[in-house]
Amino acid sequence: MRRILILLTLVLLLLAMWIALTAGQVAPIKRNIIYAHIPSAICALLCFVVLFVAGFGYLRTGKPGWDYVAAASAEVGLVFATVLNATGSIFSRAEWNIWWTPSPRLISSAVLWFLCVVYLILRASIQSYHRRARICAVFGIIAVIDVPLVIISARFIPDIHRANFSFDSVWQGTSLGLLVLANFFLAALLIWLKTDILQSKALLENELNY
Amino acid sequence: MNYFCKSLWAIFAKDIVTEFRSKQVLPTMIVLGMLIAWVLRIVSEAASLSTTVIGPAVLWIAFLFSGLLAQERSFAVEEQEDCIAGLLLAPVDPGTIYIAKLFTNIIMLCVFELVVVPVIFLTFQLSVADKWFEFITVLLLGNIGISCVGTLFSAMVQLSRIRGSLLSVLVLVILMPMMIPATFALLLLFGAIPGELAGSGTLALVGNFKTAIGYMVAFDAVYTVTCWLLFGFVVQE
Amino acid sequence: MSKRAQSNCKDEPVIAITSVNKAFGSRLVLKNIDLHVDRAQGVCICGVNGAGKSTLLRIIAGLLRPSQGTVRLCGLDVNSEPEKAKAQLGVISHKSMLYPALRIFENLLFFAKLYDVKDSHDRVRELLEDLGLSSYRYDRTDVLSRGMLQRLAIARAIVHRPAVLLADEPFTGLDREASRHLISNFDKFRAGGGTLLMTTHDTRLALQCCNRVVVLDKNRFIFDAETSQIDTGRFAEDYLSYARGRN
Repeated sequence: MRRILILLTLVLLLLAMWIALTAGQVAPIKRNIIYAHIPSAICALLCFVVLFVAGFGYLRTGKPGWDYVAAASAEVGLVFATVLNATGSIFSRAEWNIWWTPSPRLISSAVLWFLCVVYLILRASIQSYHRRARICAVFGIIAVIDVPLVIISARFIPDIHRANFSFDSVWQGTSLGLLVLANFFLAALLIWLKTDILQSKALLENELNY
Repeated sequence: MNYFCKSLWAIFAKDIVTEFRSKQVLPTMIVLGMLIAWVLRIVSEAASLSTTVIGPAVLWIAFLFSGLLAQERSFAVEEQEDCIAGLLLAPVDPGTIYIAKLFTNIIMLCVFELVVVPVIFLTFQLSVADKWFEFITVLLLGNIGISCVGTLFSAMVQLSRIRGSLLSVLVLVILMPMMIPATFALLLLFGAIPGELAGSGTLALVGNFKTAIGYMVAFDAVYTVTCWLLFGFVVQE
Repeated sequence: MSKRAQSNCKDEPVIAITSVNKAFGSRLVLKNIDLHVDRAQGVCICGVNGAGKSTLLRIIAGLLRPSQGTVRLCGLDVNSEPEKAKAQLGVISHKSMLYPALRIFENLLFFAKLYDVKDSHDRVRELLEDLGLSSYRYDRTDVLSRGMLQRLAIARAIVHRPAVLLADEPFTGLDREASRHLISNFDKFRAGGGTLLMTTHDTRLALQCCNRVVVLDKNRFIFDAETSQIDTGRFAEDYLSYARGRN
């Protein structure tokens, strides 16, 4: 099952990138960064949805599995949020000659990154396993609720961000869609793998301790 | 319901009495608030910034950081002699404890503001003309927002023996969205920006006083209810 | 300490623990614990550090959820009817659970209100007299000595006339005089029909106020007897040598 997913992700990623770099070149060449930018934004948000569900699941059932999923999704979320902010920053420099400016979507993506970091710091600072799982589930839920709130509140600030993207050819749309899908799979895969790692690590530590 | 009110009042009265008797937090809060205002006043002069523009930011920064002091205390009191166990052993709902603590923190911030707001008004030469009612509404909504998140996180940090410095990080990252409309509303009240400004561009919201207040009410409602529901998980094992 | 709300406890055991398991992660702390205690009994749970005494007490108090099994106080399930069960229960531990900044009567009054005691002022006055704290009533709680504080902690725990008193290591940090006072208060509580359940590793003191001892070792009971049926002096010695061996 997992091997199929790995294979599928790889094939999709390569295929989408190949289309993007051959048929789907976006006119001013520097704008090709949207192929990394947009999928990572969507996947970062996806990780937050997983974080919410996992936090909720842990508080309802108390099963450690949910906690590992939450931790994994926060870490993967951090990876995507970092990519999102880095590519966004480069893009912004190329387009408007500034690295960062407070603008609704820039604020929102920065907050995504901060939330992931704070979640992971909180995780690292609690020793006792059950307490950590409980507290982090609570914070995870609150952090996820923060995301729509920040998206709304950032709109009080004037926007410089590009509204929508018009594609020159059908290939650009296709490759972007494929890349979103591929990143979707990649996010799922990473969360899955990380959950497994955390689970085995916990098992190992338990056995060593007692 | 009757028991809810009684126990709520008992815990609230106990917290207020403890706070005002120990006289530890409030003076520190006030001094910190005044210091923040003072430093930023000098900096704003050096940078030749308009005081009406920087005023709202100063108000919120002072409230945020002084609020953190109050919140940090509110569960340190319970941790000291394992009093939180005493509360949890009683047939009282954890949510009631949360609401009582929330009220205490809001009252602390209000008392603090009674002193600090006039000071900031004088040093920054601010005035809200005849819009006192609106001004107090904004401050109160801000207080509730700061306190409802802060109270929950204070319980997390104190009862789980996480190092205290983490509290400010947790609170600030969650409160960040509320600060935008809160500052915006104050800017409008001080007349620093025209009534219908803000949003230009595709995503921007119609920025007037009403939408800002509406947002703050929504923020407070969402987080008060969420934190009230989640509080039980924080204190119980 | 007379009229106690014990109508529920007439025909059932006051404490009924049935096949309780508790695991933290993969570590089993309590395994298949069964314990039934009748009215007005005094039970002492002995055990070395880490045997699971405090965990068991926290489960009975409803502060921890058992992984399996049920705990009933006067027929009320601690986890499904927590509000009613908690009203039957008073707890003292080596921490006082009292607010240092409040005056003594304020502390008691606060907990009386929390437990919804009807005649709270009279009850607090009665308790302060019973425990010999009347003259300190307006003092702040943080000026009290350790022994006085423990007396006040008992007052706090029984302010709502509970059927059960749980005591977690109540003798920690008390001198001989204060310990004797504590024991006499436990006796008074039991004479009024209350049930006492305590944990300790000081068996000599415990045997003076309990009529039954159980020994918890490696997450299960290994010994359970009435004090009238055993030679208490020998038990204390045997237990001491056993505890040394375990540590």
